[in-house]
Amino acid sequence: MKKTGVGLLVATALWLVPNYGWAQKAKGKAAASASVSASADTSGDADASASGDATGTGDSTATGDASAGGESTPGGDATPGGEVPGGEGLEDICKIDPTACPNLDMDKEAARKFKEPLYAVQQIFALRVRRFELAPFWSFSLNDQFIEHPGPGLGFNYYISNVLFVGLNGEYFQPFNQDQSFNAQVRRAARVAVPLTEYQWMAGLQVGYVFAYGKFAALSDFIFQYDAYLVGGVGALSDRPIAVVDPDNRNFNWKVGVQGNAGVGLRVWFNRWLAVTAELRDYMFNDKLENLTISATDPKDPSHWYDSNSHFTNNVQAQVGVSIFIPFSFDYRLPK
Amino acid sequence: MKTNTRKLTTHLLSAFLVAAATFGLTKPANAQEILLTGPLAGAPAVRKLRLHRQGRFEISPAVTFTILDEYRRTIILGGKLGYNFTDWLELGVWGGYGKLIQSDTYLTDQIQAQNKIRIGRALQDPLDTERRLTAVNLGPQFDKQLGSIDWILAPQVSWIPLRGKLALFQSIYLDSDLYLFGGLAFVGLTERADCTDCGSDNHTPFPMHSRVAYAPTFGIGLSFYANEWSALGFEWRFLPMSWNTGGFDTAGGGKDGEFPDNKISSADQRFHFQQMLTISFNMNLPAKVRLSE
Repeated sequence: MKKTGVGLLVATALWLVPNYGWAQKAKGKAAASASVSASADTSGDADASASGDATGTGDSTATGDASAGGESTPGGDATPGGEVPGGEGLEDICKIDPTACPNLDMDKEAARKFKEPLYAVQQIFALRVRRFELAPFWSFSLNDQFIEHPGPGLGFNYYISNVLFVGLNGEYFQPFNQDQSFNAQVRRAARVAVPLTEYQWMAGLQVGYVFAYGKFAALSDFIFQYDAYLVGGVGALSDRPIAVVDPDNRNFNWKVGVQGNAGVGLRVWFNRWLAVTAELRDYMFNDKLENLTISATDPKDPSHWYDSNSHFTNNVQAQVGVSIFIPFSFDYRLPK
Repeated sequence: MKTNTRKLTTHLLSAFLVAAATFGLTKPANAQEILLTGPLAGAPAVRKLRLHRQGRFEISPAVTFTILDEYRRTIILGGKLGYNFTDWLELGVWGGYGKLIQSDTYLTDQIQAQNKIRIGRALQDPLDTERRLTAVNLGPQFDKQLGSIDWILAPQVSWIPLRGKLALFQSIYLDSDLYLFGGLAFVGLTERADCTDCGSDNHTPFPMHSRVAYAPTFGIGLSFYANEWSALGFEWRFLPMSWNTGGFDTAGGGKDGEFPDNKISSADQRFHFQQMLTISFNMNLPAKVRLSE
């Protein structure tokens, strides 16, 4: 049984061992041509393989950006004038049939007006459909001036379509609740106690919709992609009042209640599987606060500790984190 | 012993394999340098970019909401005037008037409810302990002693590093930009006036005083261009400054000045990282937009 486990781990490791695609730096026309031709041989690109019959170096050239280099052959000037190891160059073609020899003035070609058809949003940078999203984040409370509830959280989503996802999210608050000095100042100055609540954890189901996506050009130079989404869900929240009115006698236990939430998020992509996210989410629940009056007969009786009314509470949070999409790569259904 | 050794070996092997698998997840691809030649050589990242800002004035009526307020919320009616020297740099003035729309928070209502009860008792018994303890801090009407933001004027510089476009519901396409701004804000405040003999007589509200505070202001904004001359704007603004929001005596006494001294003074102005959200309707003039190369 143990051997089976080890065997599975070995198989997993072997499967995950990276396949390196080492292509050489372009040092000149000849080098570039050789590199392109080599990649073309394995990528099966018809245009590229026509430039030479150099042999490929196996699987390694088929992966990574090296094969993408093959696409540069038609547009670039590397192949036409270059020598291919073990093959015949363009000069030979010119010798055999001078009329077939290309005679391009590259300066003229460069100055030519270029009218590429452009679409409002070309091929979406990162497809989300049928991918999992792992989203660790850190949250900050935005609407509670009395006690802050920061904490780490984790979201796990599955994209049913490119714009629709379902998932789980959770957050842990307990050691991070921060009672503000403002509370003590109010208690001292106005002799009014502000009931305080601290959170322990929160978890729930969520569904989301990516309603917008686009791209930004940073200083008209670097382009990156982003999208925006709406998200909402239901779940559970564990919280308890902090004893403020009668801390000598009251000691509250954690209680789990129901919470519903809705929010909006922005995701900026670093690459096709990693993005940074910023989210604004309102967690809504009915909160039981500490009773502002103390029982004259038995202050230790927990049945008098809670306010008789529930209070509808909005916990608005800013969440900042990263999104990791799995699997890391994907295929487009249609060409660019 | 043999079993322990085998376990250790197994664990070490497993740990090694997991590490190998983890670090093996990324697959580096070392490709050649791209020597871009031909028609795209030296071409800009974006062609025919609509220059929504360059050489244009911006007139933006705006509504600003203060957030995370302790005692009083303010809605500031105002706007922004600016001129864009380039598509990435704007010089302008943001400001507004806040005295028209203000509302009290739930905490203010709670304090006043308690205060009313105590004053009622104190009118019967002038030696009521709770009232005596709060006489310096609470007048007969708590909401009449609260600090408020009356107006703001902030010369500022905006830097627009990001220009882009947005597909909304896969059918509406908008130009957008993201910018950072910063400047110096002149803030007209009303606060409880300084005093040395500050106890309330249970009838007369505490005197108030206006002053102008200076504070840095900065934030982040988004513009969504509906057409060539108009856009919808959103801003998140920070305004760190010290002021007395509740009219309380919270400091000035004790060794480090962090205890009440039964006086109202500048020591009672506490630091607040004031935050505001703005929604604006941006109009750009001249109305015709230019295109980049």
